[in-house]
Amino acid sequence: MNRRHFLKTSAGAGVLLSSGMGHFFTDLYAFSNESNLSQVEARYYTKHPDREIECELCPRLCKLGDKERGYCGVRENMGGTYYTLVYGKVCTSNVDPIEKKPFFHFLPGKTALSIATAGCNVNCKFCQNWEISQVRPEQIRHVDLSPSEVVDTARHYHSPVIAYTYSEPIVFYEYMYDTSVLARKIGIKNVVVTGGHVQPEPLKELIKVVDAIKVDLKSFSQDFYTEYVRGELKPVLEAIKIISRSPIWLEIVYLVIPTLNDSDEEIKHLSQWILKEIGPNVPIHFSRFQPMYLLKNLPPTPQSTLEKARTIARKEGINYVYIGNIPGHEAENTYCPNCQNLAIERRGYRIQRNNLKDGKCKFCSHPIPGVWA
Amino acid sequence: MPRRRVLTGPGMKSTFYVKGICMSKVVIVRSRLRGRPETGGYHQLPSMFRKGFECLTGRKQWSASPAMVPDQKNRIGIKINTIGGRMISTLPETSLTLAKVLAESGIEEKNLIIWDRTNRELKEAGHKLNIKGNSIKVFGTDTQGVGYSSGLLAHLNIGSLFSLIQSRHITASISLAILKDHGLAGVTAGMKNYFGAIHNPNKYHDNHCDPYIAELFDSSLIKSKHRMTILDALTIQFHRGPSYHAEWADNYGALIFSKDPVAADRVGWQIIEKLRAAKGLPTLKEEHREPVYLHTADRMGLGTANLNKIQLIETEV
Repeated sequence: MNRRHFLKTSAGAGVLLSSGMGHFFTDLYAFSNESNLSQVEARYYTKHPDREIECELCPRLCKLGDKERGYCGVRENMGGTYYTLVYGKVCTSNVDPIEKKPFFHFLPGKTALSIATAGCNVNCKFCQNWEISQVRPEQIRHVDLSPSEVVDTARHYHSPVIAYTYSEPIVFYEYMYDTSVLARKIGIKNVVVTGGHVQPEPLKELIKVVDAIKVDLKSFSQDFYTEYVRGELKPVLEAIKIISRSPIWLEIVYLVIPTLNDSDEEIKHLSQWILKEIGPNVPIHFSRFQPMYLLKNLPPTPQSTLEKARTIARKEGINYVYIGNIPGHEAENTYCPNCQNLAIERRGYRIQRNNLKDGKCKFCSHPIPGVWA
Repeated sequence: MPRRRVLTGPGMKSTFYVKGICMSKVVIVRSRLRGRPETGGYHQLPSMFRKGFECLTGRKQWSASPAMVPDQKNRIGIKINTIGGRMISTLPETSLTLAKVLAESGIEEKNLIIWDRTNRELKEAGHKLNIKGNSIKVFGTDTQGVGYSSGLLAHLNIGSLFSLIQSRHITASISLAILKDHGLAGVTAGMKNYFGAIHNPNKYHDNHCDPYIAELFDSSLIKSKHRMTILDALTIQFHRGPSYHAEWADNYGALIFSKDPVAADRVGWQIIEKLRAAKGLPTLKEEHREPVYLHTADRMGLGTANLNKIQLIETEV
């Protein structure tokens, strides 16, 4: 697919915004030419003797012999040099409302050109996008888009934001980084939607070129991470702390899965940790689980469970607690923690009313943290 | 006494009893002319395969008799391992010879499929792709129109799409795998070879591939179709695998046969340890990468990893 076709198809995708339709040209069962993968040297790895390498991008620290790929499936050791196979290989794209990411305190009502490549460095049993995140890049169709073409595309659709999302952007780190640098030069902002399974050094470098990061915190229990995520909790918490202490904006999503990570105690501990380590002003979204991928034996999260989680978090002192994936719920709105008035009214991904003025509640002038313009 | 069969159905017995102990048979056939094609070792392959089948089945002489294969309409998949390039892969000399020897037993050539993940890897190992109707087929899962199943197969800790070659095209399978040291799994051999039958093997290398290798093998699409393991130990990478390193590769010149997939790999592991010891290298256990998945496979009842329960037959041609 060339860029002209891409833009044409993207326009179609943009039309689908209101119906909430998502990705386009994702086709798991078609095969692209394997030789069409990128061969751009990866960052953050160490060369070892005998053509072995150690990847230092994420906490897995994959040690790989020649011809082997990392856990993510998109980075390969070729003769002792480590390459990313997905640089510029966009498998999914759409122009989304920023609320869909979700970012509720970052340019509300704006759109984000959202892109992804194949691959992920964990394997969540409840993954909603497993058809792109849990496959190798040669197993799905993709379009070649250089960083400058991504920026041009965002400009073409008047999107003030580029979002790296859908799969796990950390695994296409080099592409995301280079695109962000170019985008920033012309005033387009960059946001990242990640599981936060990343090493501190690359994260700190990324923070220098992006504007906001949303972290999917899957649970507050290592057992859950071991069993259902195949990853580690500690590095994710560390990543959240690093982001929170940086100048960029942070939001957290917690997918509440019935009986697995929804206990009052876990939500309470999570809230207490956020309050202690980050403070009361980071938005946290408790989202509804839908049976997916390898976790189909559980029902969707009851609304009451999400409401209880919200109550616990607010009781612990967190100011901005939202409920996700239940369109029309009052907890989609932002309320001023000072006067309790409605600050931003939302319905689904749409902004119905915005009562902020210069980042402050128009009723009481209390500052609402976020990036508002 | 009934005649033994080489490729029998799912109910075949891979074990027998000696003094009340359940035993598995593993046959090692070594070539007097060891080594790769350039050293002249490969012209002995037909007799090595025949000898292996003879020893495994207990028949005095290998025969092309149709009785050896009860269902000649079986479509036999020969799953090979070509990730290592020309130097340390199942080469066409080996896989095509096996196919020809199987054809001697009455299986029609058109029903023999030599396969692996990708056409690129097959070609890099020297294979010539072929999908012509009446001949032995050679192709990868990424062949246009093949691909992976559309539905996930979830089994224990495995959740994968399976190659349609494994799930649809073949009815019985031989794992013709390279025997190698593996930096993560410890040993890669006949069982791990089936990682090439799924779309996401990269997700199953944690914890020395344990329990993933065993659990994948235990899945219905593998276990119900697997008939025999043949380890290509003509050249063994006994250290720094799975890629090729000449200084740690041994021209062992053997093929290893077993109907017990765990026993075959266990014997392969033992050989790797012996080659390592001969070079003064530490054991895999000392390097903290013992192939524990074999013990898991044993516990799951897929075969035996206990050397005391393996009847080892070593022969030479």
